[in-house]
Amino acid sequence: MAGPIINDIPVKTNEKKITIDPITRLEGHGKIVIFLDDAGNVENAYLQVPELRGFERFCIGRHVMELPVLTNRLCGVCPAAHHIASTKTLDAVFSATPTETAKKLRELFYMGQYMHSHIAHFYALAAPDFVLGPSSPWEKRNILGVVDAVGVPIGAEVIKHRSYGQKVQEIVGGRATHPVFGLPGGVSKQISEEERAQMETMAKSCIEFGKFTIKLFHDVVLGNKDYLGLVTNQDAYYLETYYMGMVDKDNKSNFYDGDIRVVDQGGKELIKFKPSQYLDVIAEHVEPWTYMKMPYLKQVGWKGFVAGASSGMFRVGPLGRINVCNGYTTPLAQKEYQVFKDTFKSLGVSGPVHHTLAYHWARVIELQHAAERMLELASDRGITSDDIRGPYNPPKEGIGICEAPRGTLIHHYASDKDGLCTKINMIVASTNNYAASNTSVKQAAKAMIKNGMISPGLLNKVEMAFRCYDPCHSCGTHSLNGGPALEVTIRRKDGSVLTKQRNF
Amino acid sequence: MTESDEKKGKILVLGVGNPILSDDGVGIHVARILKEKLIPGIEIDELPASGLELLDIVHGYERVIIVDSIKTDGGKPGELYELQEEDFQKTIHGSSPHGINIPTALAMGRKIIPEQMPKEILFFAIEAKDTLNVSEKLTPEVAAALPGIVEQILRKLT
Repeated sequence: MAGPIINDIPVKTNEKKITIDPITRLEGHGKIVIFLDDAGNVENAYLQVPELRGFERFCIGRHVMELPVLTNRLCGVCPAAHHIASTKTLDAVFSATPTETAKKLRELFYMGQYMHSHIAHFYALAAPDFVLGPSSPWEKRNILGVVDAVGVPIGAEVIKHRSYGQKVQEIVGGRATHPVFGLPGGVSKQISEEERAQMETMAKSCIEFGKFTIKLFHDVVLGNKDYLGLVTNQDAYYLETYYMGMVDKDNKSNFYDGDIRVVDQGGKELIKFKPSQYLDVIAEHVEPWTYMKMPYLKQVGWKGFVAGASSGMFRVGPLGRINVCNGYTTPLAQKEYQVFKDTFKSLGVSGPVHHTLAYHWARVIELQHAAERMLELASDRGITSDDIRGPYNPPKEGIGICEAPRGTLIHHYASDKDGLCTKINMIVASTNNYAASNTSVKQAAKAMIKNGMISPGLLNKVEMAFRCYDPCHSCGTHSLNGGPALEVTIRRKDGSVLTKQRNF
Repeated sequence: MTESDEKKGKILVLGVGNPILSDDGVGIHVARILKEKLIPGIEIDELPASGLELLDIVHGYERVIIVDSIKTDGGKPGELYELQEEDFQKTIHGSSPHGINIPTALAMGRKIIPEQMPKEILFFAIEAKDTLNVSEKLTPEVAAALPGIVEQILRKLT
């Protein structure tokens, strides 16, 4: 296999505005607009995203029991996360405590989602940059090019284990893509011993695949000094922010349940809160140039697109989770967590890792953890019990939070006495990360584009700054063409288009 | 009987889209109408996603017809296009909300599990008007075109 192509040759542009639209391999369409000053250096950069309209209006007046199915329709990427957050919100709305069996089944289902989602991101979205190189030809820089480089047998393993993640969701959740099993206080479907055994077998295989993925990451990324140079490039990919993520009572990372922990730039706990307290912690800032709001920490305040202790901007997702926890409950993930910490310690990092591209490493550690936790749960013969539904009470207002693969996901509903929805608010993971991912784009653009010199590889390195967040901004559109891959529009200062370059 | 045996020699019509995102879900609307017609030898399914999920469904079938929405420059809402796999060569690397788009997923299947892939995959793509407003209803233009679209697809099946 040929080595990755990390750099290409930039050419001079005299333009003042560069648009990357739509962004390649972003889950949900968006565009980057970069403004250059007279010297051809980056003055500003924006990550703009479209947003679906009318979802709140669509939900108001419907029965709250419909919401786990409706909210997961918002998204074809992480419907399981919406289903789990919504089901947990119904627990709160109906003052219902799920049975132990139901909790285990929900978490087992959710580990299937993590397998599926993290495999898709690492192999389909991230690997083209790492295996082929950020400056490799655009027509090869995709999952097909990755398979050409690593070989069909490895590609088959990727497809197989992603499919196992789907299968676990289908067995437990009733459907692979848009599950239907969550109910307040439990789940709707008992599983058989045969199904449990099938999931146990798949989980064992997923653990081996997790090991393989970690080794691949070590070989391809950590074993390549040029990539390490990118990962540790503090001019392009480094933000000292607050971090947020869910932890258990021992501060171990937990995707399904627990308190939400926030740490500062030095790793000190700023606050730990229950889902019901989220409005005391998070506020949302609005910018005129985008539909999407920007959450920030209330007690710190909004200071704009800047990092540091005085800015309430925070990060969620794999990097957020790994920075707020003190490890994992499963041995292989814990072992790799230690390697992660030791590696950055050798680079002089003692607290949280602020290197944006480290999102990828944290994600493969989580892939391993999800596989191990899947096996723990699938090996428990108790999960075939018929004790799958607990009691519930009249509906009221409720809040539920889980960790979507992309980060902290918050659902909040209010119900009238008949169970009809009177209010709905959701803060999704990519919204929580929006201010930080926008800041990362600007930082990378400033570092990569100097004196008006641009190239496809440099623009892709700007994209890499937000792609690692695995953003999923505009959940739900499925049109067949899905839009072109990369379009750069260069505009004069008055906004008129001078030239347009397409890579398709 | 295994899952592959059950699919062997059969034709699948797969409606793709988001049924609560107006015209984005037109493929699902078509699939639901076709399902009511109980056409012998034809299986009808829905997929509210795309990308690699598609492979989980289509592998093993003899022939697959995918019905989905599309947005083209200057296209007339409700217009129907019949496309082949090779028509997507130019967008094969394209983005989608699922990481990879349908043509890329199919190309992955042809590369990794060629023996399990359908011999023929046809696409019926319907020009969408609105794919951003959350609604279970199609826009009037696309809704008006629906009966004609279903007739054209039926002619292909019988």
